[in-house]
Amino acid sequence: MFVFRLDSNSGVPPYLQLVQQVRQALLLGFLQPGDRLPLIREVVESLAINPNTVAKAYRQLEHEALVAGRPGQGTFVTETPTATVSPAIYTSLRRGLKTWLHRAYTAGLDEESINGLFSTVHHEAKVEGVA
Amino acid sequence: MIWLTWRQHRGEALTAVTVLAVLSAIMVAVGLPMHASFNHDIVQCIDGSAVDREVCSTNLAVFQKSYGFATGILTLLNVLPFLAGALIGAPLLARELESGTWQLAWTQAVPRVRWLVVKVVALVTLTVVLAGAFAALITWFRQPLDAMYGRNGLDGFDVEGLVPMAYGLFAFALGTAAGAVLRRSIPALTLSLLAFVAVRVTVETVLRPRFQAPLTLVENIEAGSRGIAIGTGNRTDWTLDEGFADASGQRLARTDINSLDDAARDAGVNLATYMHDHGIQRWVDYHPAGRFWNFQYIEAGIFAALTAILLSAVIWRIKRRAL
Amino acid sequence: MTTVEADHAVRTAGLDKRYRRTWALRDCTLTLPAGRVAALVGPNGAGKTTLLRLLVGLLAPTRGSVEVFGQSPATNTATALSRIGYVAQDHPLYRRFNVADLLRFGHACNLRFDRGLAERRLAALGIPLHRKAGTLSSGQQAQVALALALAKRPDLLVLDEPLASLDPLARREFLQVLMGAVAADGVTVVFSSHVIGELERVCDYLVVLNHGRIALSGDIESLLADHRLLVGPRTANNLDHTPSVIEATHADRHTTLLVRDGGIPPAPGWQPQAVGLEELVLGYLRLPAPDGTGLAAEDSEDAA
Repeated sequence: MFVFRLDSNSGVPPYLQLVQQVRQALLLGFLQPGDRLPLIREVVESLAINPNTVAKAYRQLEHEALVAGRPGQGTFVTETPTATVSPAIYTSLRRGLKTWLHRAYTAGLDEESINGLFSTVHHEAKVEGVA
Repeated sequence: MIWLTWRQHRGEALTAVTVLAVLSAIMVAVGLPMHASFNHDIVQCIDGSAVDREVCSTNLAVFQKSYGFATGILTLLNVLPFLAGALIGAPLLARELESGTWQLAWTQAVPRVRWLVVKVVALVTLTVVLAGAFAALITWFRQPLDAMYGRNGLDGFDVEGLVPMAYGLFAFALGTAAGAVLRRSIPALTLSLLAFVAVRVTVETVLRPRFQAPLTLVENIEAGSRGIAIGTGNRTDWTLDEGFADASGQRLARTDINSLDDAARDAGVNLATYMHDHGIQRWVDYHPAGRFWNFQYIEAGIFAALTAILLSAVIWRIKRRAL
Repeated sequence: MTTVEADHAVRTAGLDKRYRRTWALRDCTLTLPAGRVAALVGPNGAGKTTLLRLLVGLLAPTRGSVEVFGQSPATNTATALSRIGYVAQDHPLYRRFNVADLLRFGHACNLRFDRGLAERRLAALGIPLHRKAGTLSSGQQAQVALALALAKRPDLLVLDEPLASLDPLARREFLQVLMGAVAADGVTVVFSSHVIGELERVCDYLVVLNHGRIALSGDIESLLADHRLLVGPRTANNLDHTPSVIEATHADRHTTLLVRDGGIPPAPGWQPQAVGLEELVLGYLRLPAPDGTGLAAEDSEDAA
């Protein structure tokens, strides 16, 4: 049975954390097609979070075609996984990021400035339509 | 709600019943021999069938010595109707308010007025039963004493008949009202005690003598008698006041009696003769013993009315606001 | 009863509450949709307990109205009372009753009481039925009080600072049970808290109360979308009076504005940042009380 976590202090909205955990698990193979996600009630009782949050996360995942709800039975990972990132691209992205980080630290930025810079540029990119 | 009332108040209820049981045991243990002694030695002395007055005097003295202490005890027992009422009434609202459980009690599905009325009816019944049992016990105990001294005063009237129940009800109402206003059990009990004593004293000393117009006995004084009679001749009557009046009917003050005494000595006659010669009579203001039940109804009625007013005020207040 | 009214768990309009000479609540207007989990936040003395007591009928309004699912709770009828569950501050219980007695009390005093459900829940938490309530730990007492309230199967559950005296584990367990009940029954929840940190995972509706007035209320998601922080170069102070600016914080070289502008693109030179729930609440709590003379004048009117 898949287990969710929640970090109250991460700054990421709770529902998004759940969505990201499912996406991550699918990428890394911890969730397979056909697996049943925990019932909303089960997630709520274990994490003590608002049921609407879980419902919203599951709806988002359904919208992304990662999962599908079956009435009366629960929510299941879809048989045909959609665009997953190939391990090769994943690895190359990680390597590129490490290089960039190395450059940033060498230039004298600390963790906070790096995160701030990333947020700002990411936001700009979204506005400009790249992301 | 009945189960709840019992469960919340069973502590006080059981304590009250235990006290009553212990008291009953003691009173029966003392009362049975007292009744026996009375029936054997005393009763003939007071109904006039006795032959030997000397024996009567002795018997009376012995009886007095053996059972005279009961008067003091009976006076102290006045506190019991108060305790029965106030110890049950004061925590009724105060305990809920001081512990915060009013917020629990009044957000279930029982409207607070109904909650209060059911509890009040149940606990009032308990108070009346306890006080009634107490009154019955004392009335039985006092049968000899009633016959000898009458049913008056703190050790007689106040602990017999109907009034103990009325006092208990009043104490309950005071406790409940004080608890509602002060919101703490102990201060509520203290305030109840002060109010109870104030009202009881006022009614007993100011109102009770005036429940009915007192009767007045006027008598000539027998010349040459060694002592001057007192009272109405019936030991069980309630004497309010007595004294002397001159020939015109004007009541004499204490100081006047002293000068009479001096005048009699100067004239060389005894006081009784002197008074007889000068047309001085004695008067007694009193209520006859037969008025006992009338007065019981009136006094019980007063306290029952006060109880009803207090409890209505408390219920009306709770209806308007919880706190 | 119209459909609109039936959808709203709580509606207050112009709600005022006065104790003798002091106003505890002024002009509180609030609409809470059904099925929400609402947080009522504010400093101590803001009027949170007063507002909650008005919701459950323990107090009656001085002016204005309160409706819970279309009925005024102050009518104090059995049906109105049975729709509402309440856990007061410090979760008062009859300390000399054992847990079984408390369940019996609940059963005796309610139209609807699922004793079996409460017993199963308490058994799952390891709370024995024969223990006197006064001997239970604070966390266990809170759970018993919650079980009593939930066994009524209320439509609205009101809790006054339920987490205040609980250790972190007890807090988590309490919220687990509470959220489980929301998931199972769809009960609407309002609870007050003077701690903001843990609210976002549990609540989806926010009411900020300060100085007896509602400073802010709404869906948390909408509120967070409507508000932003704007960081820019140090401005002159007169920017503070722009209607959408909630709060302006000035440092030597830059100014941070908390704005409610619905997310429109900022003026040039201003960097937008998302605002977190805690920052948002604090920004509204730091707003000064409304002009004091207004209240004093009304007080003297009442005295006349």
